[in-house]
Amino acid sequence: MSASVRWRDAALGGIGTLAVLALWEAAARWGGASPLVFPPPSTAVVGALERVPGDVLVGHVTISLQRIVLGFVAGATLGVVLAVAGGWYRILGNLMRPIVELLRPIPPLAWIPMAIVWFGLGESSKVFVIFLAAFFPVFTNAWKGVTGIDPVLLRAGQTMDLTGPALLFKVALPAAMPDIATGLRIGWGLSFGVLVAAELIAADSGMGYMIMNARQLADVGTIILGILMIGAANLVTDWAIGAVIRRRLGTWHPV
Amino acid sequence: MSGLTGAPATGDAARPKIEVVGLAKRYADVDAAQPAVLERIDLTVAENEFVSLVGRSGCGKTTLLNIIAGLIAPSAGEVRVDGKAVTGPGGGKGMVFQQQALFPWLTALQNVEFGARTRALSPAARRREAEQLIDLVGLAGYAERYPAALSGGMQQRVAIARALALDPQILLMDEPFGALDEITRIDMQHELLRVWSSRRKTVVFVTHSISEALMLSDRVAVMRAHPGVIAAEFRIDLPRPRQRTHAEIVALHDRIWRHLN
Amino acid sequence: MTTLATLLRHPQVQGLSFLAALVLGWEVAADVGVLRPYQFPAPSRVVEAVWEIATSGFPEGVKLTTHGLVTLGRILQGFLLAITLAIPLGLLIGWFPVLDRMTLPVITFARSVATLSLLPLAIVWFGTGELSKVLLIAYGCFWVMLGNVVAGVKYVDPVLIRAARTMDASGLVLFRRVVLPAALPRILTGARVSLGVGFMVIVGAEMIGTIRGLGALIMEARTFYRADISLAGIAALGLLGFGFAIGLGALERKLLPWHRGLEDVRR
Ligand SMILES: Nc1ncnc2c1ncn2[C@@H]1O[C@H](COP(=O)(O)OP(=O)(O)O)[C@@H](O)[C@H]1O
Ligand SMILES: [Mg+2]
Repeated sequence: MSASVRWRDAALGGIGTLAVLALWEAAARWGGASPLVFPPPSTAVVGALERVPGDVLVGHVTISLQRIVLGFVAGATLGVVLAVAGGWYRILGNLMRPIVELLRPIPPLAWIPMAIVWFGLGESSKVFVIFLAAFFPVFTNAWKGVTGIDPVLLRAGQTMDLTGPALLFKVALPAAMPDIATGLRIGWGLSFGVLVAAELIAADSGMGYMIMNARQLADVGTIILGILMIGAANLVTDWAIGAVIRRRLGTWHPV
Repeated sequence: MSGLTGAPATGDAARPKIEVVGLAKRYADVDAAQPAVLERIDLTVAENEFVSLVGRSGCGKTTLLNIIAGLIAPSAGEVRVDGKAVTGPGGGKGMVFQQQALFPWLTALQNVEFGARTRALSPAARRREAEQLIDLVGLAGYAERYPAALSGGMQQRVAIARALALDPQILLMDEPFGALDEITRIDMQHELLRVWSSRRKTVVFVTHSISEALMLSDRVAVMRAHPGVIAAEFRIDLPRPRQRTHAEIVALHDRIWRHLN
Repeated sequence: MTTLATLLRHPQVQGLSFLAALVLGWEVAADVGVLRPYQFPAPSRVVEAVWEIATSGFPEGVKLTTHGLVTLGRILQGFLLAITLAIPLGLLIGWFPVLDRMTLPVITFARSVATLSLLPLAIVWFGTGELSKVLLIAYGCFWVMLGNVVAGVKYVDPVLIRAARTMDASGLVLFRRVVLPAALPRILTGARVSLGVGFMVIVGAEMIGTIRGLGALIMEARTFYRADISLAGIAALGLLGFGFAIGLGALERKLLPWHRGLEDVRR
């Protein structure tokens, strides 16, 4: 893509974004709704930034990201390990399958009451819900990757004296990487998706807490700020993960 | 024969390297009423001999090669290498597959190095060996490319280099030049002969091209389908490089053609 | 003996007997008190709870069918609202590259916004009633659907379009006869994924301001320390989700009879 095309696209994207913001601004200013309920973007975010101190904001972001990272790393690790083990060793897979198929259609948020009963109202229950959100997409995709590998690659490995675990780690696992990467990205997005609900569990910190608390204070500006922050954090981290994946896999696999 | 078992590896050309004895194959998940894929296959390949298998597609050439490689188990009979029954892949049997079987996450050079992995070479020596093989198959300048960025013919040449990197005593090749254009194909045939004569290997070469088999082999085994059997064998005692138009080649081509129909 | 051995070689038999053993172990452990009943109510208790919700209801009078239908209704309303808007808009954006470039940043960001983070805003704007829940689901479904419709149209193989042009198809005919069918698989994928999103969002949306719906049921049960009811509700949600997956798979096969061949080739 040439530089001029990229500039043109960026300009068009900028125009579109500005148009949406202008529409919002106009609707809020002249639409007749109270600015307390429906503030224009120019004042909503600025006002909220004045009300909420910067270090408090940073604190909320940090604790939320911490929960997401903990839950995601746990869920993704277990997802990859179980899927690879189950996809490779048939007996393990046979034992795992019905249990996973049974649990998979249950939305992660449905486990919140059980999370509280099992782990109490502290950090663990929140992390557990995020763990669930990350686990299933990672498991499903890793499973697909390991079981869907082209048999000729495994045979090629075998003719080069690879057997057992060596074949798994040198051939099956790299071959499954693109699917695993897909699962990781979906799992990361879902982790953000359940964050707010997880932080409804007796939290006193985190971006989810911040906006639910702002609702009680009828502080729409802070709610909007929080929504934008969660969205931006998701967008930026997803982009970063995508960049890492492209760097690692993009050389040989069209991402 | 027993007198030869102690002979050095460079020894007598008549010593059997591969023996296929009473081999039959029936895929388990296929209707039992269908004829077996392979039935009563007997084939002996001498050390350093170049044997081609020709036959229509679907007659069981790939299946036979996979069994010799130890990748799949026969339903009856056995394959022996150096007198010992084959129970699995590996152990000095290199294979070039009919389909693209390079590891897509490794570059061309890394794929070839991977083949040399089990040889007792220092990393530097292994790399040098891989680079030489890449040169040998005419891909100097493409060593750092990933398979996805190579044409089908180039990928196949990397696959050949990878199989050679094992330095196998036995080279099993499943229609290795099937995806190549005519010109490259003839080049590759010359290269293969050069490698074969300089590195001394026992080659089982599957092709559906009669003339390719005639240009390359010491012996051509003709296969027929339903059930897959070896219908005839032809010995070609001509020096290489051979002329396509040589009277004996033309005559053999004709006879093999009639066996296939 | 030998028949048992052959039976045990079936993958499904292995898996299901393992599952049965786990459930049995759980039952025994709960009955003898190894597992605390308020944390891990015995499976038999959960079955009784299902019966209780189905017959007398939980909370009293709100039966399982009501919970299920209410949840289903909310998901479907939000989903239908979303696809009604997303399909025409997506077709438009996908067909006109300028529109696509103009909307790309907005769509990308809107998709990253976690739907449930809109919950407090929805409450302030639309209250804690049905409207909030339906709109939240619609929001989640909408962007996923839109993204897929746009991509479906945008990435129609240009060869197909050129081929159609050589057959004098242009304008609306081209769009209706070539672009739309070619984009359909992607559009259906979008529908499936977005229904999944709706299914995930509903549980969060039902945590607020209602006692009806499966999400409300499992949360409400917690305040009464009825883990058995929660688990029964979770099972019902899982069943509903499973039903959705099956139904959509069947719909896809019906609408795309020609698309299956491609799947077969891949395997
Ligand atoms: N894994 C398999 N399962 C069942 N049938 C197979 C399998 N592989 C090959 N066949 C059948 O065996 C026959 C021989 O196949 P193959 O050895 O690939 O032939 P060739 O290499 O000569 O074209 C064909 O009829 C093919 O359909
Ligand atoms: Mg073949």
